[in-house]
Amino acid sequence: MYIAGIDVGGTNTDAALIKDDLVVATGKVPTDQDNLVESTAAALESILGSWRGAEPLELHLSTTLSTNIVVEGRGEPVFVAAVPGPGMRIEDLNLGFPVYRLSGSVDHRGRETAGLIPEEVKAALASARQAGMEALAAVGKFSHRNPSQELEIEALAQEGSFGFRHITLGHRLSGRPNFPRRLATSYLNASVAGQQAGFVEMVKRLMLRGRSIGRVYLLKADGGTMTLEDSLIRPIETILSGPAASLMGAQALTEHRHGNAVIVDIGGTTTDIAVQVSGEPVFEPQGAEIAGHKTLVPALFARSIGLGGDSEIRVIEGARGGTRAPRLLIGPKRAGTPAALGGSRATPTDAAAALGLTSIGDAARAQRAVAELARALGLGIEEAAQEVINGFTRQLVEAIEEAYAYLESRPVYTISELLAPPDIRPRVLIGLGGPAEVFIPLAAQAMGIGWEVLPYHEEANAIGAAASRPTAAVTYHADTALGAATVPEMDYIGEIHRPMFFDLNKARQEAQRWAAEQGKRLGVMDLKDISIIEEESFNMVRGFHTVGRILTIRAQVRPNVRRIAAGAKGGKADAGR
Amino acid sequence: MQAGNHRVGLVFFPAFDWAITPDHPEREERLLYTRDQIMEEGLLDMPGIEEFRPGIASDVEISRAHICVPSVDRVVTESHRIAAGGTVTAADLVLTGKVKRSFALLRPPGHHANRIVHGSRGFCTINNEAIMVEHIRHTYGSDLRIAIVDTDAHHGDGTQDIFYNDPGVLHISLHQDGRTLYPGTGFINERGGPAAYGQTINVPLPPGTGDEGMLYVIENLVLPILEDFQPDLVINAAGQDNHYTDPLTNMRVTAQGYARLTELLSPDIVVLEGGYSIEGALPYVNAGLLLALAGLDYSAVREPDWSEDQVRQPPRISEAIEKMTGQLWQLWRTRKDVNLEKIFGRGPLYQRHRQVYYDTDNIMEEQVESIKLCSTCSGWRLIHSGAARGMGGGLRRGAVIAAVLIPWRACEDCRREAEAEFQHAQKSGRFRYVYLQDVERDMYKCI
Repeated sequence: MYIAGIDVGGTNTDAALIKDDLVVATGKVPTDQDNLVESTAAALESILGSWRGAEPLELHLSTTLSTNIVVEGRGEPVFVAAVPGPGMRIEDLNLGFPVYRLSGSVDHRGRETAGLIPEEVKAALASARQAGMEALAAVGKFSHRNPSQELEIEALAQEGSFGFRHITLGHRLSGRPNFPRRLATSYLNASVAGQQAGFVEMVKRLMLRGRSIGRVYLLKADGGTMTLEDSLIRPIETILSGPAASLMGAQALTEHRHGNAVIVDIGGTTTDIAVQVSGEPVFEPQGAEIAGHKTLVPALFARSIGLGGDSEIRVIEGARGGTRAPRLLIGPKRAGTPAALGGSRATPTDAAAALGLTSIGDAARAQRAVAELARALGLGIEEAAQEVINGFTRQLVEAIEEAYAYLESRPVYTISELLAPPDIRPRVLIGLGGPAEVFIPLAAQAMGIGWEVLPYHEEANAIGAAASRPTAAVTYHADTALGAATVPEMDYIGEIHRPMFFDLNKARQEAQRWAAEQGKRLGVMDLKDISIIEEESFNMVRGFHTVGRILTIRAQVRPNVRRIAAGAKGGKADAGR
Repeated sequence: MQAGNHRVGLVFFPAFDWAITPDHPEREERLLYTRDQIMEEGLLDMPGIEEFRPGIASDVEISRAHICVPSVDRVVTESHRIAAGGTVTAADLVLTGKVKRSFALLRPPGHHANRIVHGSRGFCTINNEAIMVEHIRHTYGSDLRIAIVDTDAHHGDGTQDIFYNDPGVLHISLHQDGRTLYPGTGFINERGGPAAYGQTINVPLPPGTGDEGMLYVIENLVLPILEDFQPDLVINAAGQDNHYTDPLTNMRVTAQGYARLTELLSPDIVVLEGGYSIEGALPYVNAGLLLALAGLDYSAVREPDWSEDQVRQPPRISEAIEKMTGQLWQLWRTRKDVNLEKIFGRGPLYQRHRQVYYDTDNIMEEQVESIKLCSTCSGWRLIHSGAARGMGGGLRRGAVIAAVLIPWRACEDCRREAEAEFQHAQKSGRFRYVYLQDVERDMYKCI
């Protein structure tokens, strides 16, 4: 089967066509931000020459649509109906969008402690429609434990024929706690839903334009894919899919699929650092952060620093009296095009070109640019260039160290985890991007680990989009004392029969069953791809008697990225010590 | 989100894999609902609140505050080391200026642990606050003046014991009257040793005390005393069992009351102690407390089952509390006028004799403590202690130990006498173990 991966970026739209584990074609067209569908069509056109039309084609699309809407604040107005109950005041959350407060509340175990007042809800919905609101988001505190009040608001909105074009319910977006994040996620979701629906319509028309494109999937921030249909319900999950696509590309192309690795994508302006532990990508602990909004959107963990091939190089004056020599600071701003490629100021790329470490651009021009820097430092040209290379490497290694220090200092809540933390340290440094060939071996050497520079650094994002597979997670929560179970992502509220016999094993089975169900909707038939990622089990004791158990299991369809052979365009690697 | 007025460091460690026994109040589940509430409220996303991992207390850190019999390793588990270590982390966060205030929200608690530790009592084995205070004085200056305000419903008897004769520490304990609740101590007449007389203050509150009475004592006694004492640091041993839903006590304080108390007291460091209404109280009390510490609005924090009737404080209780507060203020004001010779004798040693029961481990300890009445320092001390399982333990049964304590800024005479006593006790052959605790030189011996 052929898969076309397309990453519609801010400047360019990249495309890659893969068949089984081979890259058959790649292409690039400029992005037209006002017409993302046309950019997609043009990029697709650029690679379809290599497609034999008789075989089915699957399209994997990563777009900046929702990211741009959120970042530029172009979303539709949303009526956010919140059921906060007691606790922190909504006014103090500074969410950046208006929230309407409804009566009602649910407690930490999912018990309704105060009911909704239907008349109040209906009056609020009516006035929202009068004010011209087309989208509704209903969000309750602890709705991940009991979504019934959100469902009740939805039912009231539908029964009353208020005519909302889109309704988002908080619990459907995530089974994780955090009411303010649930509010923000739901608001953003509802605010991009209208434009997403328009986009999906256009993609469908594109599919009908004579080409027999099979299914279309959209890339998500967690590096997995979702169906077009699901993207109408949860469009917010498509934010930040661009960086995720590159990381998935690295995971698809690397020789080091199973161990611990750090993945570094060195671009012109920024460098992204991501972490792989035992072959699995590490995720943001709670969710993506975008344009100041903290969300529950599952996202790959990534640290971005202002360091790249085009970075500005500044000379920091040494201490008076010459006790300390002047030193270099690279980034965080971009200097512009490297001198070797026609720019005016020296960049890290020029330092590499001056030393003959890269074949990019004109080495003589690079040397002239570095000469200026050398004068300021009181060094020869080669020495100065070497200083730049060393400084870049040092800053990169420091940023990698910081990312690991952050991950290793994250709170844990059990003695066993505190005393015996898992080993997440990398054994290999996987590099992507133009400057990677210069800096990755040096950084790896400084860290005392092996390295690998991947091929296709220009197209890794599109390859990653093509290689991605569906992902989804469910949260199964059972409270046997209440005899209640919920799977918020699936709208499930059910009873536990024979709670006395309901144990961790039963809960695991249930969670896996729900994840399989979710997987089937996404076209995942292989149950091997379902894994349990978190589990908790607490005995509940009241007055010296065990009265039940609280079990929470999170199961997911794993982001099992397709393996792509480096082929003739093989990368470079060194196993290290 | 709204930035509070104060940066707060939270050291949260619920020890989800540790219990005293499966059905004990100190079990895995204790802070589960608190975690759920804090996470769901999104408190850790607030710009002023940051979470930190706990440290692990070392043998030396524990030995600065305790004589563990026979050794630290034999009485202390990893869970205790993390609770104490996390409390030390909370102190470091404040004293290094990383945060303005900190909250060690962790378990197991510690305020019933005395200086001598034969086992566990009142769910406590080692004293988290005391280990922290000694760490602070060791690391940041032995002349720091520290006030501990214990607002657990049970008398903070362990902390009182450890700082009983310590002029650098003020210990105020507000608790349900000892005639009606474990550990049965904490009366007005327990006022401190010869070198720190009046600096132990006990406020036994009648059962049925609510927000009104608790806050009355804070405003009319605790705050004026703190104003007088001028501490460098205020530590709140924040038990949450004065709550009206607590199963072990008979008080009527609410989450709002606790939050207001925190706001009034504005402690530098808060350390969780008891509190066993794990569903009805802890989630709300801790949310309110964290908001109050961060200088955020806590007015909307309320228990779902709250009702005026449940929390109203009867008028006769208000009267009794007002009367006692006046009496205690009088005692504080006149503490330096007291003729200490009448209480502690003319020396050279003052001796006190007592029995300590370890309810959690069913151990009975008998103790004779001798304090040197010294005019230049707080005086060296000698403790003889014997303990055994069951009610029959004491100085005539089981392992008998001697411990020699050299206090902060001990004078030369006291140091010499203490060292001689340490030698003498070893030679006498009367003791199973002989301990030396020398905080100033940070030297701890066990022979």
